[in-house]
Amino acid sequence: MSNRYTKIATLVVLLFGILLISIGTDGFTAFTAETARVNKLLEDKPEFPDVTFQDSQEREYSMDEFRGNYVLITFFYSSCTTVCIDLEMNMSELYDKIPQKYIGKDIDFLSISFDPDRDDPATLDIYKNMFNSDGETWRMASIQNEEQLANVLKEFGVIVIPDDYGNFAHNSAFYLVDENGVLQEVMDYKDVDAAAEKIINILDSGEGRS
Amino acid sequence: MKQSKYGLALLLFMAIPPMASVLESIMIMHMHMQMPLLVISGFLMAPFFQSKLPKFFAKWNEDGIPGILLFTLVMVYWMIPKTMDDALTTTSVELFKFISLPFLAGVPLRDSWNKIGSGSKKIVFIVFTALFYVMGFLYIKAPIQLCNNYLLIDQITLGWGYMTMAICFSIYLIYLAFIDKQESPIQL
Repeated sequence: MSNRYTKIATLVVLLFGILLISIGTDGFTAFTAETARVNKLLEDKPEFPDVTFQDSQEREYSMDEFRGNYVLITFFYSSCTTVCIDLEMNMSELYDKIPQKYIGKDIDFLSISFDPDRDDPATLDIYKNMFNSDGETWRMASIQNEEQLANVLKEFGVIVIPDDYGNFAHNSAFYLVDENGVLQEVMDYKDVDAAAEKIINILDSGEGRS
Repeated sequence: MKQSKYGLALLLFMAIPPMASVLESIMIMHMHMQMPLLVISGFLMAPFFQSKLPKFFAKWNEDGIPGILLFTLVMVYWMIPKTMDDALTTTSVELFKFISLPFLAGVPLRDSWNKIGSGSKKIVFIVFTALFYVMGFLYIKAPIQLCNNYLLIDQITLGWGYMTMAICFSIYLIYLAFIDKQESPIQL
């Protein structure tokens, strides 16, 4: 350090660097865009957009079908050979961990396919059986309308990138939507216990309320 | 001065939208081709700024420490997975990339490198070697996708890119440690 100016410059650079990295990581909370995405979703709490689902039993309905109940949502596609299998396996585990008294009464499960071309009702029906989904309290559905699908993915921050082999890369999570269709929680799909605990807490407190 | 023109030409060429999108389409090209080329464009343009503002550089960057620190911090910023994603989705961040890498990394690097001592140079090499090993491990071993805009396989490729660079740096550092101290070649 030969002169005063370089000392000042060093300090300024250091502060600038810290500020820069702080801005870039949302105040050192998010080092990946995925964390930032979840943080933002929890802050925004978007409402589930108006869409028409087509489920494994060829029924068509909107999100109103679940009004009054919490809905646990995942996004998947059935031709997926990697993360979706884990995701749906974990969803099945989560389903088993939620007390029976709540299932179908206070909470429904919904797996939404973002691959409407391949995931027709018949395919979804086969797929749902692989995970012991009953098709009633845990439904699997696709959104046939492209515009509606794109809107849901955008609102809930699901990024889907098709690769060269007909597969999709996508981010995954458990989404919990409340009885009014508003997003309440985004949970790590790999930590089923934590997710189950959180949901049971919410359901328990809801029971006390009503 | 001719160099500075080449530097500016390189920067403008990189900023042409089709060129930018080609380089950004593959993760490793984004991180290990586009970003370094932007730094190089600034490195080439440095003489222009040095001749226009000789007093500024002499006064504020006399020993080269502020400059090399600025270079390091800007590089660290761009190594964060989120900033790379943000550059793809947010225009202002993308613009900042094209400004920060040439002018806040390339220019100060050129101005500082000959001013700092050989000890500092070694520290810079060691810091970047360590960083590259860490980033390499992170990208290869992370079970999740760190960048939403790229596929997992791209991420692993980038991880090995980091590892390769880190190994090269390590070889250089080992080489430095074993050669005759009298004829230290660390004079870029």
